[in-house]
Amino acid sequence: MTYKVTEEGNISTVHLDGEIDMDVTEKAKEIIMPLIEAKKEVHLNLKEVQYMDSSGISVLIESHQKAMELGTKVTLKDISKSVLKVIMMAKLEQILNLD
Amino acid sequence: MEQPAIINLDEKRDFQVDSSNLKHVRSFCREVFEKLNINQELKDELVLAIAEAAQNIVKHAYKNEKTDDKMEIKISVSDGHLEIGFFDKGRPVEKDKIRHRKIDDIKPGGLGTFFIQQIMDAVVFKEGEKPWINHLILSKNLNN
Repeated sequence: MTYKVTEEGNISTVHLDGEIDMDVTEKAKEIIMPLIEAKKEVHLNLKEVQYMDSSGISVLIESHQKAMELGTKVTLKDISKSVLKVIMMAKLEQILNLD
Repeated sequence: MEQPAIINLDEKRDFQVDSSNLKHVRSFCREVFEKLNINQELKDELVLAIAEAAQNIVKHAYKNEKTDDKMEIKISVSDGHLEIGFFDKGRPVEKDKIRHRKIDDIKPGGLGTFFIQQIMDAVVFKEGEKPWINHLILSKNLNN
């Protein structure tokens, strides 16, 4: 997994790329969580994520919950077909912020 | 035109038990499923189910601890019936404790087993024959 972070005002966009499994979830959290803790609105761009398993979904849930707790928001952007399928399989499409 | 039948196959591979090898597990599965006349969506689902089961071995049978142990994954197809065997030498699986979390209970974790059960027709835990400790069998009828 590789990533790039861009900033625009109070919005931080994290562009994730590659496959997100148990092996990279800690790295993903290290990128995303400090942004949420800094009360940024976080956009996760998932266009280039070709594979995500339950560990990746856990990162999305944790990020979403942490953001809600701190009064900010995580939005999933440009979700790839394969990631959307896993989100729907987990029945999270009504829970997470999808755009 | 009649659909060509799904071929029979029998392939297995060993992987060192480590989260960094999960990508190699997926590559192996993708290689094997490329040989099958099934749609891409089903191939992707099967890869996810296998990767989740392999992840459970790393996470639960070995508690994510460093080990030189290997797990073996065997993929067999016979007359359209897919059987995937997982063999490991980790902690014995406590079958009664295996359950996915309630899907309405939104929290991280516990989804892997749910995905496996969604994708596969049957999930069976067996005591492994020596040298293995655990033997998990996932199966699915590919003719449906």
